[in-house]
Formats: sequence, C-alpha cells, structure tokens
Amino acid sequence: MTTWQRGREARDARIQAGARLAKGKVVDARDATRLMEAVVRPGDRVCLEGDNQKQADLLCAALLAVDPAKVRDLHMVQSGVVLPEHLDLFDRGVAKKLDYAYSGPQSARIAKMLFGGKIELGAVHTYLELFARYFIDLTPNVALIAAVSADRDGNLYTGPNTEDTPTVVEATAFKNGVVIAQVNEIVDKVPRVDIPGDRVHFVVEADKPFFVEPLFTRDPAAITESQILTGMLAIKGIYAPYGVRRLNHGIGFNTAAIELLLPTYGEKLGLRGKVASHFALNPHPALIPAIESGWVEQIHCFGSEVGMDEYIRARSDVFFTGSDGSLRSNRAFCQTAGLYACDMFIGSTLQIDIQGNSSTVTTSRIAGFGGAPNMGSDARGRRHPSEPWLQAGREADPEGSTLLRRGRKLVVQIGETFGEKNVPLFVERLDALELAERLNLELAPVMIYGDDVTHIVTEEGIANLLLCRDAREREQAIRGVAGYTDVGRGRDAKMVQDLRERGAIRRPEDIGINPLDADRSMLAARSIKDLVHWSGGLYAPPSRFRNW
Amino acid sequence: MSASHTQRTTSSVELDRTASWYESSARTRVRLLLDPGSVVEFIGPEKREVSPHLKLFDLPEQFDDGIVVGLGRLDGSPVFVAAQEGNFMGGAFGEVHGAKLTGLLRAARDIGSVPVLILFDTGGVRLQEANAGELAIAEIMRAVIEARTAGVKVIGLIGGRAGCYGGGGLIAGCCSALAVSEQGRISVSGPEVIETNRGVEEFDSRDRALVWRTMGGKHRRLLGGAEVFVDDTVQDFREAALELLSSIRAFGIDTLKAEQSRLEDRLQRFGACPDAVDIWTAEGIPDAVSIPALPADQFIALADKVRRSSRDAR
Repeated sequence: MTTWQRGREARDARIQAGARLAKGKVVDARDATRLMEAVVRPGDRVCLEGDNQKQADLLCAALLAVDPAKVRDLHMVQSGVVLPEHLDLFDRGVAKKLDYAYSGPQSARIAKMLFGGKIELGAVHTYLELFARYFIDLTPNVALIAAVSADRDGNLYTGPNTEDTPTVVEATAFKNGVVIAQVNEIVDKVPRVDIPGDRVHFVVEADKPFFVEPLFTRDPAAITESQILTGMLAIKGIYAPYGVRRLNHGIGFNTAAIELLLPTYGEKLGLRGKVASHFALNPHPALIPAIESGWVEQIHCFGSEVGMDEYIRARSDVFFTGSDGSLRSNRAFCQTAGLYACDMFIGSTLQIDIQGNSSTVTTSRIAGFGGAPNMGSDARGRRHPSEPWLQAGREADPEGSTLLRRGRKLVVQIGETFGEKNVPLFVERLDALELAERLNLELAPVMIYGDDVTHIVTEEGIANLLLCRDAREREQAIRGVAGYTDVGRGRDAKMVQDLRERGAIRRPEDIGINPLDADRSMLAARSIKDLVHWSGGLYAPPSRFRNW
Repeated sequence: MSASHTQRTTSSVELDRTASWYESSARTRVRLLLDPGSVVEFIGPEKREVSPHLKLFDLPEQFDDGIVVGLGRLDGSPVFVAAQEGNFMGGAFGEVHGAKLTGLLRAARDIGSVPVLILFDTGGVRLQEANAGELAIAEIMRAVIEARTAGVKVIGLIGGRAGCYGGGGLIAGCCSALAVSEQGRISVSGPEVIETNRGVEEFDSRDRALVWRTMGGKHRRLLGGAEVFVDDTVQDFREAALELLSSIRAFGIDTLKAEQSRLEDRLQRFGACPDAVDIWTAEGIPDAVSIPALPADQFIALADKVRRSSRDAR
C-alpha cells in the first residue's frame, strides 16, 4: 500500500529524538550540539538563520560542534552567509552545498572556498528568489532561527528584527520540517506573538543576545561634497520631474546624502509632500531629519537598525509596529513591496559596464545580491498605474499605444566616477564575467541588468537611458557621464553632444545646479550627534558610531 | 565708509563665526578667527613651496603643503597664526609644512611680543617623509620652548577632523595653553596604533565612544590636559583664545617644576584607573557615565566646578 505520510513520520521521529534532551520544548544551551546530532540527518537541507542583520549564532556554534560522523554533507539554504562560522561548517565537512543570497563580510573567503572546491555552489539568489525556492525545491528539513524571547509553549517574539523568520518558519513547519529557535530569554508571556508556538519544536535559551549588525548606519560626517552633488542632481533631476513618492534607497553614502538633503535642498525646491513620502526601507538613521520635517508618511522595513528601536516606537504613524509598540519588520513582504509598489530604486554599485550592467562582485569577492536585484528591476507583473511609472514608460516608447504601453520602474544607479581608493566605477567589462569563467558558472553574477537601469547619476551629470534608442546611444550616454575614467575618455564627443541636446545627458548646469553649491553645510545633519538631536534623544547610536 | 556699511560687515562676520570649527577648512578657520581682512599670509600657495618628497611616491602635492602661516589681528592686537589642513594627508607634518611652522615660531621668538596661535589638525608625521617630518617635530618643539622663554605666549586650538596626534600631540604638550572642543582629540599614539601594538583587548579602535572618552576634548579638559573647553564654533574658539591670552603667566623654570608636579600628582591619583569614567568618578563627578552626552554649556559649567586647571603649570 502507498504511504503518504512518510515526511510526517520522519519529522515525528526527529522530534522524538530531540525530545529526550528537552523539558517540554526547552533545551538547555549546553545540550544544543546533542540536539543537533539528534535532529539533523546527513544530507539535510538546513536553513541556519543568517539574515543580513541578526544571526542565530548560538545554534550556528552548536551545529559547528557536531560529530561529522553523525551530521555531514548538509545543504545550507540561508539568505545570509555572514559569520565566519557559517563557512567553518564547510571546512569541517558538516556542510557541503550552499544556496544563498548575501555574504557581505565573508565575500572574500567565500570566493576562496569556491575556488578551492570546499563549497559546492547551488546559486547566488536575491532574497525574494531564495524565499520563493523555500516553497518549491529548497524547502528546509530543519530551520535554526533566532528570536528575542519565547514562552514555554514556543510562542516567539522576534522583536524589531523579525526579518526572514516568518518566511523560514512557514516553509519549514508546514512541510514536515523541524524548527529550533534560540532566544535571548524565556518568559512567561511574550510581548507579542510573531511566530505561533505550534510551529516551533525546540527552544534554546542563549547566554547572550543574538548578534545584530548595524548595517544601515551611515555617519553624516563621512559624506563628501561630490556625494552631495550627486544627491542634488538626483533630487532636482529625477525625484522632482518624475514626482517619485514611492521608493527604495540603497545603503550607500550617496543615498544617505539624499536623505539628509531632503529637508534642506528639497525643501528649498518646494518638494515636500510631492516626492519621497512612502518608503520600502530599513530604518536608516539618516532619514530622521526628513521624518521629523514632515516629509515621510510611511515606511515598511526589511529589518530594523541598532539604536533605532525607541525612535521607531515613538513614531508609529510612520513605521509598522506591533501591539507591544515595537517595530515589526518582514523581509519577504518588504522585498515584495519594493518590487511591486515602489516607482523607483536608487542605489550605488561597485562596477558599471558600457551596457549599464552593474555588479558588486570583483574577482576576489562574491558579496551576493541581497535585495538590490528585486528593488532594482522592472516588475513585469505590475498592473497598477502611477504617474512616475507611466512617464518613464512614455519616455522609453513615445510611439506606443497609450492603453497598451507598459510603464517602467525608475532604476537609478548613483555614484562618483572614481569610487573608494580612486577605483573607477565604470569598466569596459565586469569582473563578474571573469569570475564566472574561472568558476565555470552558467550565469555571471550581475546585480542589476543594463536593460533594467533607467538612469545613471554621477558628479558629471545624469544619463537618462530611457531616451536612448539603441545600444550605441546607451553606451555613449554612459560614457558621457563617466568623467575621466578610461570608459569616459573613450566617448564619441559628437554623439555625447547630441545626446546632451536631446536631454539624454544632463550636466549640472543644464538643470540649474552649480557644483560649487554642493557644500556640507547643506546637510540637515553633519554628524551622528546631529541625528540624535533631531530625534529628540530617541536615537541611541551604537558605541562605534559615537564621537563623543 | 558709511556707518551702516560697517555695521553690516560686522554682523555678517558674527554670523559666519557661528560656523562649525570641525567642518571648516584651515583657511576658513584663519579667516573667521581673526579680525576681518587682517591676515597676511607668509609663503602662501602662490609661492608653490611644495613637498620635495611626495612626487617620489606619485602622491598629489598641495601648494601650501597643508599649512597656512601668517600674521593677523585678534581683537585689534597682532598675533601670528598657523593652521593645519586636516583634509590634506591628515594634516601630517612634512619637511616644508614643518619648516613653515618652525620659521613662524622663530620670528615670534625674535620679536618677543607677538603671541602665536597654532590651529592643530594633524595625525602626526607624514610617513612618506618620515625623517624630515620627525626632525621638523623636534625643531618645532625647541622653537616653541625658545619662543616661550623669550616671553611669547603660544596657544593651541584643537577641534579639527584629524585631531592632534603623534608629533602634534608632543608639540601641543609644549604650548602655553590649549583650548579644545568635544570633537578635538589629543594624544600621541592613535587608536589604531595602540590596537595594533597592544591588541584589541587593550584598546578597541573601532569603539569610537571609547576613543572619545579616552582622547576627546571633554576628557582632556577634565584631566587638565587642556585649559579651556569650547563649543564647536569659530566664535567660541576666538573667545577662548582671547581668554587664554589674557590669563597666561610668565614662563620659566618654576612653570616647568609646577608642570612636573602636576603630572606626578595626576599619575598618582589616576594611574590605576582602567577607564576615563573611573577617573571622572574619582574626581567626584556624580553620574560620570553621563559626561559624554552632556551638551557643551552644561559640561563647561560642570568642568569649571570640578576644578580650574592650574595656571602655574605648563
């Protein structure tokens, strides 16, 4: 007779094995490694919660300490490979295969281990793409997650940094998987239930809070005048003419400059209420002055940011908060919001080629994508109109039939022609291609494809690729804002002049901006301390950002 | 010139003097600090006295080698001024940079009656011209002491991006008096140097709150390393300079003896304290942990209550 309950039976057997170490659902931290050996089987797909901010670090250490004779060859399916221990798992042979989205600080080591054959790579995903695969062909057998607190029934409070947890638990718990949570404390009653207890099988109390990285804090003191100039160009040359109200910002200094220019420069241009009012965005401290000046109506967050908790709690008109008053973030929903409900993505990158493809991969670093490709791509499934989207569509296809013409999401790449350490932003060929050849990948890790990019902003001006009619024009528009880089010096002066006359390239003076006006005194806050003042003392920056 | 025109000029200067010292360039600091239009620069950028070393390393030069020296007036009285540009190679001392300051101090020594203001903004010696830079530090320290012996007051103003580190910290220690803002940091070895040599357990250079409470302006004021604490505006630095010029006593062997005993006393009282907060607590400051967050005016009031630094020493 056919059995249709094998998955459930296997799950029950795992839970039974683990239950021998537990009191109810609670397992002592000292038994965490034995719990792993009881529950995890060789070859399992395991989601070890490594988001881009919070880390299930205790469970990670417990998994790393297993006897590889009992637990080995795991297939890790996790969004963030962030801690050194995440890669130590592969060095020890506990894990073998990897599907992930973001590797930030481990980008150099992950590249080395791929070259050394220590890791069998599935694919580098975007967040939303990896989450989608959790429900189709990468469903975890075991999820190791992190929460702020749990009660004895396993109800979890994930707090402001909810991030990926609901998605991971949904995919695991409802498809015969086992969910193990590490929590900072076990309490009688959780402040709010983010994850219902019947989806959680084991709870381990950690001796110290899970690690959270302050990833979205940009010190205004480090913003340069050329970044301010690019910010002014973006506000006056893109935000204003398209009337962009719904948007996502990247995490670089150029967009931090924009956030700090809204209440000063943006105010002078009379743009308050007309642009930048609805965000899919982490709670960037640099946005505090704009929020306090009445620019921002609503922000939905992927995660939280260290030090912002009290400020968010006091500004629930702007942020999404739970019954307990603290932020509720959700990466999957926010990525979806960024993909479908925003009219613009603006962010920086490390390399842009002459087709407009961009990548943060270099030959020795594979940083992954995170969410940028979801934010920075035209959503082909979008059906609701909005003025910025329709206007971009008109510019791209002026002859098309009005009622059948798709709009376009504004996808803006912003940066200086020479980036950190004077490395040119523009290249003839992305390093990502060389990497793909050396690793025999079927697909080069491109963060944002050229055909999705609509504008490129540098201190030289704005290239509007929507107004370019063929590949040659696009290439010259890009060269035209590439300044004194080799790519820029390879321009065809006549074509660049023609493109400028058509508005496909606009210099600062073409939109009434004097580069000499780009001065730090224009920033609404010039230091972290200024941000604290703006917040009325509610923002509590972590120690490493304080110069007092 | 009509009276109304004079008035307008004055008020616009006052407005400009609300500018942040930290954010201003060396030239802006000099221009706003001294009486309007009074500054005459020596060996200015038009002379193009650039570093003879940087081009060997294919590094950009600056026509003033990162320091402005000159003569101006402060509230009507003549002063020599030197201002380091922290945005050029971290304000570091190179051969030409150092020689300009040495020359200024020697001129002050020879004239004997015109004080010197040094607007420090430096990470120390420029590594690319190490020997010349180290020699420059030694020459400047000697020149400071010679000038002071000749009766010249030498005042350091510290509140720039690069702080006052390395040889800059040594020169500052030779000055008649120092004024510092919260952003200003004074030390010899920088945070990264300490961490590299002694380990992250000894000093975590990425913990900026630790860096500031160990080397920052507030701690230097409470420890007696700086005579005056000021808010981060040009006006506040100007007032501090005027205050110090009017209160500095004559310099001699007795000053140095008093300074020696001040430092011995400090070492004895606080030598065992592992953190600045412990020092402030030992000084009898209630709620010492709140010091870093105090606004400037409240901190100045508190610091004045805790102790006036000894004007006999230095």
